Amino acid sequence: MSFENPGFTLSAQVAELNKRFQSTDTVEMLRHVIADPRFGPLALVSSFGADSVVLLDMVAKIDSALPVLFIDTEMLFRQTLTYQQKLAVDLGLQDLRRILPSREAVLERDFENLLHRSDTDACCTLRKTEPLARALKGFRGWISGRKRYQGGARASMELFEIDAEQRIKINPLAHWSREELAGYITTHNLPRHPLVAKGYRSIGCAPCTIPSGTTNHERAGRWEGQGKTECGIHFSQAPAAPVIVTDQGFAKDDWAGGFRGVDALASLGTQDKSALAVDLAGDFNAKDLLRWVKRINLIRVDFPVFSDGRGFSLGRQLRMLGYAGRLRAKGHILADQYAMARRSGFDEVEIDAALAQRQPAPVWRARANWQVRDYQLCLRQRA
Amino acid sequence: MPQFSAPQILTANDLLSGEVVYHTKTGAWSCRHKDAAIFDQPNPAADCLKEIIQNDASVVSPYLVRALPMHFREAFRAAGPSNRFIGKQAGHT
Amino acid sequence: MYNYTVFDKDFVATRAAQFRDQVQRRIEGTLTEDEFKPLRLMNGLYLLLHAYMLRVAIPYGTLNSQQMRALADIADKWDKGYAHFSTRQNVQFHWPKLRDVPDILEALAAVHMHAIQTSGACIRSVTADHFAGAAADELSDPRPTAELVRQWSTDHPEFAFLPRKFKIAVSGSPQDRAVTKFHDIGLRLVQDATGAPGYEVSVGGGLGRTPMVGKVLRGFLPRADLLPYLEAILQVYNLIGRRDNKYKARIKITLHEHGLEDIRQQVEASFSLQRARFDGTDQDILARIEADFMLPAYKTAPISAFERQLANDPSFRAFSETNLHPHKNPDYAIVTVSLKAHGATPGDASSAQMRVLAEIAARWSHDELRVSHEQNIILPHVHKGDLPEVYKALQAAGLATANIGLISDLIACPGMDYCDLATARSTIVAQSIALRFEALKQEHTIGPLKIKISGCINACGHHHAGHIGILGLEKAGVESYQITLGGDGSQNATIGKPTGKGFSSDEIVPAIERLIEAYLLLRHSASEAFLTTYRRLGPAPFKAALYSAKERKNEL
Repeated sequence: MSFENPGFTLSAQVAELNKRFQSTDTVEMLRHVIADPRFGPLALVSSFGADSVVLLDMVAKIDSALPVLFIDTEMLFRQTLTYQQKLAVDLGLQDLRRILPSREAVLERDFENLLHRSDTDACCTLRKTEPLARALKGFRGWISGRKRYQGGARASMELFEIDAEQRIKINPLAHWSREELAGYITTHNLPRHPLVAKGYRSIGCAPCTIPSGTTNHERAGRWEGQGKTECGIHFSQAPAAPVIVTDQGFAKDDWAGGFRGVDALASLGTQDKSALAVDLAGDFNAKDLLRWVKRINLIRVDFPVFSDGRGFSLGRQLRMLGYAGRLRAKGHILADQYAMARRSGFDEVEIDAALAQRQPAPVWRARANWQVRDYQLCLRQRA
Repeated sequence: MPQFSAPQILTANDLLSGEVVYHTKTGAWSCRHKDAAIFDQPNPAADCLKEIIQNDASVVSPYLVRALPMHFREAFRAAGPSNRFIGKQAGHT
Repeated sequence: MYNYTVFDKDFVATRAAQFRDQVQRRIEGTLTEDEFKPLRLMNGLYLLLHAYMLRVAIPYGTLNSQQMRALADIADKWDKGYAHFSTRQNVQFHWPKLRDVPDILEALAAVHMHAIQTSGACIRSVTADHFAGAAADELSDPRPTAELVRQWSTDHPEFAFLPRKFKIAVSGSPQDRAVTKFHDIGLRLVQDATGAPGYEVSVGGGLGRTPMVGKVLRGFLPRADLLPYLEAILQVYNLIGRRDNKYKARIKITLHEHGLEDIRQQVEASFSLQRARFDGTDQDILARIEADFMLPAYKTAPISAFERQLANDPSFRAFSETNLHPHKNPDYAIVTVSLKAHGATPGDASSAQMRVLAEIAARWSHDELRVSHEQNIILPHVHKGDLPEVYKALQAAGLATANIGLISDLIACPGMDYCDLATARSTIVAQSIALRFEALKQEHTIGPLKIKISGCINACGHHHAGHIGILGLEKAGVESYQITLGGDGSQNATIGKPTGKGFSSDEIVPAIERLIEAYLLLRHSASEAFLTTYRRLGPAPFKAALYSAKERKNEL
């Protein structure tokens, strides 16, 4: 294996790495990665937040000279800065680089330091995403401390990924649980961020972080009430592809054949045996599809807005008329409506990436048991 | 919303309690009508409403309303129901 | 009464838990208000003028003493010590806090109650005759059908996001006390020529902005076809009902725009496919439900105490004349407990009163209570021999007002004192009218009269169905009240006609007084009720009483 081999794509290399290290001990994997010159130059990016000390400790023990990039947005909690200084000394970090936003950009775009109140995305771009992008120039790979249990888009991340700049991004703690992190901190007698004791479980900038307490969602305290869960530095590919929801959770769309409008059916040759998928609007009359019912492989019914329930009846009608192929509900469908879609005859739901981020896979999986507690089933199925 | 013809105040219901609240000068919310900040000009009022709709998740359905004379609906919101002495008029918040 | 199965219990408990999660997500911000609103509405939670309002379902108006006590406990623990019984046979709490609502739903689930589908664009909690299973004139108890419809419509996957709300009522008596003709679907239990049981299905009735009397879609629907037929109506409505204008979204408008015959054809086409999806299990379930609604074990005892009290106590006699209704069992009576003490808010009961009602029901009414759409509480099975004691207990709790069916037994929505949609107050008008005629001591002279008051065009106070209807509107920044006459919610369903320009809040009670004076002068005899006189003479003499000659001329 060689990164220089042009015949071996980066994504194939990453897939190979994920497979190779999938069950390797985290410290072992880090030791290997840091020692391997092909990954270099390499940096660790740390927020010095709630659990950052775990990865910092591991890395410091392997190579305390590894560059550690600390993004100081100038909006951080006072406690974060104190904590960062303490850890740098305690762990003996030799190359800690404090990354600040560009002076000119701040003067131009946020001279009152109030941008976060009107546009959190713009604030994150100014104070996090852009400075990190600058700081990472010249590095070939970076290590991040994200965990899958934090939910949202993080729930499905891999150990090794490719970022938008074609760098390797390593997430050594991807599969770690909250309890395991706490266990590591206790076992190694490491200092905790002072705000953890006050109920903060994910710590970012002071204006946009509140304690998340004992709620279900780790990052609930971040950008509270804004439908936002990521600052932007961790988005890899934009625009993100839609997500297909099934009882198993999120997946990518495996249908590659494209979709046709109903009008296109008329011009379809009788000998044409190619795979066929059709898009339907909610006001479509299911009977008009009757002669094609046996021929279509996939029907996608549009739900323009969650409060428009026509699609549920259209789905049921298609099933009543004998359609046995794949049936997909697409659009603005909430996790709370997943059971309705499944019970109305749909096999799966297609949502866009933004909705998937706001309503992550666990919220949908909570409705995967749609067969139980169904009055309709009780009324129709002889016990 | 009618055209801006008179000074306005910004009101909403609190997300957690449902109680009627008024936007004050400091940007905080008060459950007392007398604490309401008065907008003399339409643009700052509209900007403030927009800002709250976008960024303030602590209240539900914020809107601007004429400060004076008070519409009778607003008078009931400010005081509590007229058939029972159990709203704000009774000191219940 | 219907006994919750393991399935029902698990269902309501899970729904309460789901809502807890949804509330949590709303507070955390991962659900926006726009997304949360339909979810909270599906669980009966509104945000009104001063606070949240939780509307709890009392399916077909039936509850037991334990449930009534639980409602009283909720009123004390999480609200302000009272509850409001609504014109939809539901009960409303007007001051809960968002964080407490999951706890309230849990407390309700513990006594087999819920707030599911008491709001939102879905099939709402089903209503029925409040004298069901007790009234002497009843052909068949409508509640087993109503319970079957409740189960079928609960969480129906296709019909949770309809164009608009959808209400179903069931009646089993020739005297329609369930206002079936003013519902989206009205079901009347009937028999065909051979005596086989079935339903007359009316569709497209409703009050609101465009009041319409329901039209018969099927004169006789065999009993076993009910659910597939309902499913067909709802599916057609869900697909073709208008979604572009909420004032034209109810099925009455769909029916009006497409025509009865077109809708009938579409429904029958859907029905032919739906029928095969039911294998008879629903009828087995209906049979099991019917077993739950067996008549209680009536006792045999002397009724002499009742007769003695009638002879000796004029106030008890007055109460018996107005508040009792003939029961299937001649030794029994149906007692209507008025929640309209003169000057009180119609439909409100304190937690103490609710506990007294629970106690009375447990001791003297076979543990049953009903809520009527006329905002009263019914004790459906009281042995006549127990009536003096029941009366005494009611008196002690301020619940013995003898005014059922009279002018002060008026119904009123909460109006602008609470409601977000209201354009004027309605309870204050109800209170003022009741107090005025109480002061005039005319109530019994006037006799049967139904006044119904709504605080906005949506007509939760059923004003179109009132013999005298009052609609509160806003005119030029003040409250204005429009009068309609001749409405009727019974089997002779009629929509009241507006008389002319509205009256201010100061003028409305004197206007009603003038109407009543005119009626007393015009009636043939003391036994001719207001509605009969109105039907005989038409609106002219009543308009003359309401408006001056000049005003009437301007109207023309």
